Amino acid sequence: MEITKVLPDDCISLIISLTSPRDACRMALLSHAFNSIADSNAVWQMFLPLDYIHIISNSSSPPSLLSLPKKDLYFTLCYHPILTHNGDMKFQLEKESGKKWYMVGARALSIQWVDTPRHWTWISLPDSRFCRVAKLKNVGRLEIKGKVKLNTLSSNTNYEAYFVFKLVRDRYGFRHTPVELDVSIEGTAAGEVRSVILDPPRNMPQQAKERVDGWLEIEMGEFFNGFENDRTVEFSLREDHDDQPKRGLIVQGIELRPKHKNNR
Amino acid sequence: MSEVDMAVIKPEMMKSYIWLQTADGSIQQVEQEVAMFCPMICHEVIQKGMGSSKNYAISLPQRVNPAMLSLILDYCRFHQVPGRSNKERKSFDEKFIRMDTKRLCELTSAADSLQLKPLVDLTSRALARIIEGKSPEEIREIFHLPDDLTEEEKLEPLKNTTDDPRIRLLNRLYAKKRKELKERQKLKNIEVEEERVDDRSVDDLLSFINGDNGDSKGIKNSKSKKKNRRRKDQQKNTSANEAIKNHNKEPNGLNQVCCSAEVGQTVRAGVGATSNLHDVEDDIFDNKNELDDGDIDDEIDPALKEKIDRYCSYELRKSSKLTVSNEVTMEVEDFARRLNSDWPERMQEILSFGHERKPVHFSLNGNGSLRRYANSEQR
Repeated sequence: MEITKVLPDDCISLIISLTSPRDACRMALLSHAFNSIADSNAVWQMFLPLDYIHIISNSSSPPSLLSLPKKDLYFTLCYHPILTHNGDMKFQLEKESGKKWYMVGARALSIQWVDTPRHWTWISLPDSRFCRVAKLKNVGRLEIKGKVKLNTLSSNTNYEAYFVFKLVRDRYGFRHTPVELDVSIEGTAAGEVRSVILDPPRNMPQQAKERVDGWLEIEMGEFFNGFENDRTVEFSLREDHDDQPKRGLIVQGIELRPKHKNNR
Repeated sequence: MSEVDMAVIKPEMMKSYIWLQTADGSIQQVEQEVAMFCPMICHEVIQKGMGSSKNYAISLPQRVNPAMLSLILDYCRFHQVPGRSNKERKSFDEKFIRMDTKRLCELTSAADSLQLKPLVDLTSRALARIIEGKSPEEIREIFHLPDDLTEEEKLEPLKNTTDDPRIRLLNRLYAKKRKELKERQKLKNIEVEEERVDDRSVDDLLSFINGDNGDSKGIKNSKSKKKNRRRKDQQKNTSANEAIKNHNKEPNGLNQVCCSAEVGQTVRAGVGATSNLHDVEDDIFDNKNELDDGDIDDEIDPALKEKIDRYCSYELRKSSKLTVSNEVTMEVEDFARRLNSDWPERMQEILSFGHERKPVHFSLNGNGSLRRYANSEQR
């Protein structure tokens, strides 16, 4: 029995679409028949998020993206993040699962005093996808908050939130004073608040990790986006105990990354 | 039962039956509520008034043989009962699909022809679970598929290109850098293997892989590696270019430049060329970006050769425990940062070029010169 003689193409498409993008790429190697099915739009449309058309239409990307074959579109979105929500958010797909992966830019966060030039300034850095990132000049209390509607994200997915930042050479206030990081879904009990030092001295462990794009990231927390997702998830970073001056932090945004499952 | 008895008893019989005929000619009657669970049968009864008697039995599609029909009716019989809990249904489903793969395929096909979507979904998921994570070879065995793609066709994803001149410039710059690094490495290296491997042509490799199994494992490994190298190099270049372009990216980008473990493992496998092929597809998945590989015109061929050479020297570096990958990474990051400023503009440019697919014809002769790849019917 050869499967392509038993099953019609659209059944095979369905089966492939129920595996994974990686498996689908492998299956294009199986035989002539599988090659065309595994690369087809029928399959790859299933790997794209349900609302991909809406996301792309409301982004800064050219609409010609939508005329790409779906497999090409999938990988384009994996490797070339697009700006959505008026340039406030950066969107891409997590390659293994096709889940939505967002970064909320600094502009979309609520940063206390951010519009007061004495305290914060908006600058443009070449290694950020966003037009502007926020640079701290001087505050005593640091408060950065953000929130995202859960229905923006992929459902039935575990997400990790990361604070993406840099520290310039001329900085102070972060070496010995920890900041408090918190992620919670509105309406549920607050998750654990993490206390981390953003700029530890050399002999202390560095909790922030360096990213591929040259920025630092530190995990704020995790949350699970279930199916009834008409709520919002809220993030906050705070240092409001010691009232000591702080300076030299550059904020790119908060990244919401689908957690990579190791076992399927 | 005689006809007379039937006439008397019939009004008291609450059950009504639908008559179905399978392609082999056999006819059976099935309880109405069970049969009507299938949309196709439902349609025949309601729209065409069929199925009410033996003479007007509904002809089922050819894909539904008596064995499959029996299974399908079991499914319908269970699920058409309204009072069952989700847990019960799930439990039934799990037991129901426990059958060999061949039957699962036939059942999917039969259910599909009867438009019984819940069962199609159930069996499809089961089949998906069977094939996910498996290598192409394993899947071919399960489904009895012929391995009828030529080598070139299997490499097709690697050849997808764009005409963006900036990408090509990047490729050249990158190739130059790699060459420099390679030169440095060559000076440090005294391995003989490099020469030996360069002597083989692609066609030789293919004929070896597909025909002759008598060689010792050692030689076979190097030949497989060589063939793989060609592909992997393309991958490398693609991934390197990608890394240049994707400054902002998730960890994948530069990991590939750093000659990811996957590639290394593949080459080390040396079990047989075919097993390396599906890892190629994995690499394609990892490095997949059809917009990147700009090596399409003739003047790039030397760069291609450099890639191949570079991969050879990568092999050597690996074996001599030298890591150039960090240097390479930094170069790439450097490029990335310098280019980042006009990223959105570049994106626009890339996307507006569309996707021109030009086949790359290449192969490496023993003396290092390039010749057109002969599309033989080897596997």
